[in-house]
Amino acid sequence: MDNSTKLIEKIKEQQVKPISRWRFTFKNSVFWLIFIFCVLFGALAFSVILFSIQQVDFSIIGHIYHSWKEFVLAMIPLFWVISLVVLLVIAIFSIKNSKKGYKFTSPALIGFGTALSMLAGTVFFITGGGKWLENTFATHVTQYESIQDRKSEVWSMPENGTLSGIILSAGDETFELEDFKGKTWLVNYSDAEMASSVELMDGEMIKMTGMMTSDKTFEADKIRPWGGHQRRYHGGMNNK
Amino acid sequence: MIITLDSCKDLNDNELVIRSLENLDYFSCLFLRYEPELLRYIQRISGIDTEESQDILQESFIKIWRNLNEFDKSLKLSSWIYRIVHNETVSFIRKKKSFGKDNILNVELYRNILREDDEPVDDKEERINNTVGVLDHLPFKYKEVLILKFLERKSYEEISDILKIPEGTVAIRINRAKKVFRKLAEKS
Repeated sequence: MDNSTKLIEKIKEQQVKPISRWRFTFKNSVFWLIFIFCVLFGALAFSVILFSIQQVDFSIIGHIYHSWKEFVLAMIPLFWVISLVVLLVIAIFSIKNSKKGYKFTSPALIGFGTALSMLAGTVFFITGGGKWLENTFATHVTQYESIQDRKSEVWSMPENGTLSGIILSAGDETFELEDFKGKTWLVNYSDAEMASSVELMDGEMIKMTGMMTSDKTFEADKIRPWGGHQRRYHGGMNNK
Repeated sequence: MIITLDSCKDLNDNELVIRSLENLDYFSCLFLRYEPELLRYIQRISGIDTEESQDILQESFIKIWRNLNEFDKSLKLSSWIYRIVHNETVSFIRKKKSFGKDNILNVELYRNILREDDEPVDDKEERINNTVGVLDHLPFKYKEVLILKFLERKSYEEISDILKIPEGTVAIRINRAKKVFRKLAEKS
């Protein structure tokens, strides 16, 4: 018996049937769907990272920290950065396993996936997707430390020169401020450099750098609106 | 129905795949068409004897039959078949944990590398003929690309499809493998 006849006999004997085409198509589609899903969610993570960067007032916070490294570590939204990296790794792994995935080098796929996530993430950020996702997590996930929580922590260290809260009443050289922990402060702002967008009126949310002069008094040297450059916030923390 | 190689010689590979899916007997044509070169390839890459190579080829073709619907017509059928045979051979080698030895391959390979690099072969004939065991000392990833490129005469694109690695990686690997091979061959 020649080898080809032997092969056909073996196939018949073992009743080997070709796997149907749709199973291969399905498998390949799953890899592509995972890729699209991961890139889109990566884009959402990137939009939250952009949102968190927007919330940082780089111009005045820099001097509070001993180094930029320390500052970045304090402000970086680790959860979202790790999510973005994990999603990109899954996206690249899935595309590598698709039918033609082997044709691309890993650096090309990493570059392509990252660029796609960054591009879509920027669009999400501009359309408010980042803020929405961040707020959704802050509201529904109890263990999640929101960017606003982190921000209010950074800006609630009077002994280190930062203070934030809501103005209760304002005078010519001083105003009363309730910080986010509910404590009332008397702030002297006579020598402070104030952003043009800040209006010292009741209910205004602000942040400032300066020096704690006693248990209940603070001397401000730079005052900014709570929301960052040109972004005024009025009312309680719900408006953040 | 008996299908002879003659009866399907006018069919190209893609037509043969379609016919095979309709009638298993046509699959024997596919086997017969590729049997000699694949047997040679299995032996080159693994150094094992003819009998074991036949077993690997039979198992590979059962796999090819099972996955025939996966064949992507944008590829060359030969690349896809080589890929399956290559993987089957590698897993056989892994189970066996040893390669056979074939010094004739080293001589042929060295000669082909020199020709590819436009270097005169005649001057180095003695050295070429004394090239012994170089392939056995190469990492497998180098050995497989050298065999595919210089003995099986596959293009970069075909090697990329067989080994499932990007074409750029194929080029880099061949270049490195060639350098290591020549260095070892000149020492041997």
